[in-house]
Amino acid sequence: MNKEELIIETRQLEKKYVTDTVETTALAGVDLRINRGEFVAIMGPSGCGKSTLLNILGLLDSPSGGSLKFLGQEIGNSSERQRAKLRKQNLGFVFQSFNLIDELTVEENIGLPLAYLGVSKAETERRVQEAMERMGIAHRRSHFPQQLSGGQQQRAAIARAVVSDPKLILADEPTGNLDSVHGREVMALLSELNERGTTVVMVTHSPSDAEYAHRIVNLFDGQIVTENINSRKHAAELL
Amino acid sequence: MLQNYFKIAIRNLVRNKVYSAINIAGLALGVASCILIFLYVQDELSYESNFSKADRIVRVVGEVNFEGQQDNFAVTPLPLENEVRKFAGIQTVTQLSKLNKQTIWYNNQAFSEDNLLIADSSFFTVFDYKFIVGDPATALDAPNTIALSEELAIKFFGNAEQALGKVLKFSNDSYKVTGVFRNEKHSHLDPSGLVSNMSVRNRLSPVELKNLWFNLNYYTYILLPGEAQKSGIQQQLDNLTTKTINPWLKENRLNAQMRFLVQPLKDIHFDSRYAHGLAPTGNMAYVYIFSAVAVFLLLIASINYMNLATARSAKRAKEVGLRKVVGADRTQLVSQFLGESLLLTILAMLLALALVEVLLPSFNTLTGKYFTSGLFLQWEFMLLLLAIILLVGVVAGSYPAFFLSRFKPADVLKSDKMPRSGSAILRQALVVVQFSISLIMIIGTIVVFAQMRFLKNSDLGFKKEQILVIDVPYGDSTLVKRLPVIKQKLLQNPNVVQLSNSHSIPSESLNRTLMLVEQDGKMVEKTIDIMAVDYDFIPLMGIEMQAGRNFSKDFKSDVDGGFIINEAAAKWLGWKDPIGKKVNTGDTTLVGRNAKIIGVVKDFHVQSLHSEVKPLALELRPESPGYLLARIAPENQEATIRFVEEQWKQFDQKHPMEYFFMDEFFDRQYKAEEKMLTVFGYFAGLTILIACLGLFGLASFTAEQRTKEIGIRKVLGSSTGNIVLLLSKDFAILVVIAIILASPVAWYGMNKWLQDFAYRTDLSWWIFALAGTAALIIALLTVSFQAVKAATTDPVKAIRTE
Ligand SMILES: Nc1ncnc2c1ncn2[C@@H]1O[C@H](COP(=O)(O)OP(=O)(O)O)[C@@H](O)[C@H]1O
Ligand SMILES: [Mg+2]
Repeated sequence: MNKEELIIETRQLEKKYVTDTVETTALAGVDLRINRGEFVAIMGPSGCGKSTLLNILGLLDSPSGGSLKFLGQEIGNSSERQRAKLRKQNLGFVFQSFNLIDELTVEENIGLPLAYLGVSKAETERRVQEAMERMGIAHRRSHFPQQLSGGQQQRAAIARAVVSDPKLILADEPTGNLDSVHGREVMALLSELNERGTTVVMVTHSPSDAEYAHRIVNLFDGQIVTENINSRKHAAELL
Repeated sequence: MLQNYFKIAIRNLVRNKVYSAINIAGLALGVASCILIFLYVQDELSYESNFSKADRIVRVVGEVNFEGQQDNFAVTPLPLENEVRKFAGIQTVTQLSKLNKQTIWYNNQAFSEDNLLIADSSFFTVFDYKFIVGDPATALDAPNTIALSEELAIKFFGNAEQALGKVLKFSNDSYKVTGVFRNEKHSHLDPSGLVSNMSVRNRLSPVELKNLWFNLNYYTYILLPGEAQKSGIQQQLDNLTTKTINPWLKENRLNAQMRFLVQPLKDIHFDSRYAHGLAPTGNMAYVYIFSAVAVFLLLIASINYMNLATARSAKRAKEVGLRKVVGADRTQLVSQFLGESLLLTILAMLLALALVEVLLPSFNTLTGKYFTSGLFLQWEFMLLLLAIILLVGVVAGSYPAFFLSRFKPADVLKSDKMPRSGSAILRQALVVVQFSISLIMIIGTIVVFAQMRFLKNSDLGFKKEQILVIDVPYGDSTLVKRLPVIKQKLLQNPNVVQLSNSHSIPSESLNRTLMLVEQDGKMVEKTIDIMAVDYDFIPLMGIEMQAGRNFSKDFKSDVDGGFIINEAAAKWLGWKDPIGKKVNTGDTTLVGRNAKIIGVVKDFHVQSLHSEVKPLALELRPESPGYLLARIAPENQEATIRFVEEQWKQFDQKHPMEYFFMDEFFDRQYKAEEKMLTVFGYFAGLTILIACLGLFGLASFTAEQRTKEIGIRKVLGSSTGNIVLLLSKDFAILVVIAIILASPVAWYGMNKWLQDFAYRTDLSWWIFALAGTAALIIALLTVSFQAVKAATTDPVKAIRTE
């Protein structure tokens, strides 16, 4: 594992929201570097800018200032089309509220990223099958999201995030809507993905979830206040 | 991917049943109306196009100026054909004339036909009617031959083949059937038969022919070798005027000018300038109006789609966000949503086609046309369908598509925030547009209705009710001679109040005659409409005398020596005291007959209220054929008619008695408007229906969106009534704005329509008030259904919905 390969690098990243007359500074100069293979947890109080940061890292939103390099390429101000292209090739997302499309079945939801990548039908079928089996939801393939439990929905969402074999998975409070048993299940899945080489950036409130990460970034009022190496995780890996 | 879009589209349609139903039903109604209107308009615009030489055929029409009075005629003089035949650059010329209504007999079977034309075989060279049997080239060459239309042949013989060689009798003569041709309804000519002119038109010597330039009874058509020769013909027609006609007019000391014009065949249907045409002309204004209505209906249905799609956009936002997260770009999303609107449009289109198929027979009855679903296979029709699909699917679909695809995933995927549902202002503006259009249609319908009532209830200057009119066949002199006896018999029935016979009746076009009238001691020539009547006509019709007296048997000189004129004529001739003024008819046979004005009648409407009362002279012809008028008592009307029929049969075994009522006959002049009223009424109903469908959808959306607010208000003590008011108020305001916008537009348009009538109803305020109130009530009923539903839901449940 080459820890020196940078996936993401931000410098003085800023994000301001302007609504009517109020201007909110959500990010006030964030410097962050994420290496290939890392598992990074972002923590901090509600409203400190965690989701904003994650969305920008995931190219879902554009920064108002500073620089953002993705795989060494500056994309702070690139076009929506270009970002969509980078997204579908490199990124997977997991959300607190699962965010599956209600009108599509589990199988169709998982296959969606491959459809936008233009993957052939047979290949799609194979990879969707594989992803479903890995997440243990193959038996629910033709159900609609509302017919599943929260844990099952989140596993389907993770399956969708990994089906295109992304370099980076971004997860925004993935256990926030789950009970502790299902929460641990999800964390185990993310951890396993990371061990197989996928970089994971996760926002969380829960210190126990953060234990799965190599590094914990603490955010406060739009700025990084501390960065801790999770020594226990490193110790575990060394063992 | 396409499959995926399709699946989502279908599932969305099924899941949101009310929304889908509103959209599909509205669009289907709009599209169906559009298709029907297209058929009508296309039909109107393609008259004569079934004749293969249509583009090379012209009709010659006449502009006659007599004594300073200009008239345009579709009919031309008899000698014109021979003159035109000498022209350079023509292929064929043919002249035809209309035969009076005939009772045609085959053995014991008789049908009355008034669409018989007289022509020779050159007619079929110009107009290539398709012959089922017989040879068009020779069918009319021999005397006493007739070519029948397929319809008439079937009426007599069951089929076309049977007709050939059979002998028909009419007009005291026999005619052999030499051919049967297919009817061509799509033309100003639609003869039921063509009679060879060898048998009817006398062969005239060139000298005789030369004096018939005022015999305006013939329709003249020229077939040109190519399309471009029209101006050359016009030049030669003008030469004819200067070299031949002007000298003739001078020679006969006639103060007149006569000019001929070339009119392309395809222009005939919409050109209403020329009097005495073979068929009533179409009205281009109605073509425009109905085309506009079609566009409006589509617009209203499309607005429904746009409004409901954007109103519901909050529900689709998450899907948009997610698709972007997994890599969709905007183009892909736009095409997905466009695909959805196309799918919806296509579904609506299928429903519309089914609807058209069902409605076609009624539509045919309404318009008097002959559409069949075979028309669906025409390429013009396919083009129309494609145009509608693209217009509605793409144009109406693109606003929601661009609007929806704009959502940013970072915004819409936050569970605590709902994106706004598109611009409410735009939606409101579109609703105002819909209701403005609906209101214009409603006001239009009411105005047309009011005008029709005005026309029918106006005082015509005569009493048109309870007059039975019996056709007295032309050319049956024995029958005409027996009229006094028939009258005596009929009067034995106390319910036959009064009888009269006259040459013509109101609403028919009258003969014009040349008259010498006294002006400042001199006799000058004037042309005036003339009606030949008997002693009882004026009292029977209930026409009032303004001065002088009615024709009377006590004055022998009244026959050939007395004229009664109307007030308009007195005014026109500038006579303060018309009684005793000298007049003379210009008819060459009657020159020297000295006549006097013996009375003046108050103006009565010979023509419809479209036009002002024209100068008119009544002359006495105690035994004029044409019609026998019977004023009958309202009691036992049917028995009276039966009695008259029985008596008639005693005197006339040759013709079945044909009769009608004067008022119905007169009101036929308003048939076009009547039709317009019905069609317009239906479409006005449709626009408001489609607009209300949209309103219903929007109201249900608003109620849904404000469920929480309503719940809180109820917890705080608001009554159901208050909440219904709260939800309905906003929509009511939109309708009121529409009323304000629509009224001046409708006023302008309808004022213009009313200009067609010399006598018209007022555009009074109540029409606008009525339309506005009706629209408001309909809209409120629509909205309040949703409002009441929302207001009566359990508040606790409402608050809990997040
Ligand atoms: N779309 C938006 N418009 C305006 N303000 C926003 C928007 N999204 C987030 N914010 C504001 O930015 C700040 C950071 O928000 P967020 O990143 O969601 O916080 P976290 O995820 O850490 O709870 C908050 O003050 C929030 O109110
Ligand atoms: Mg957050």
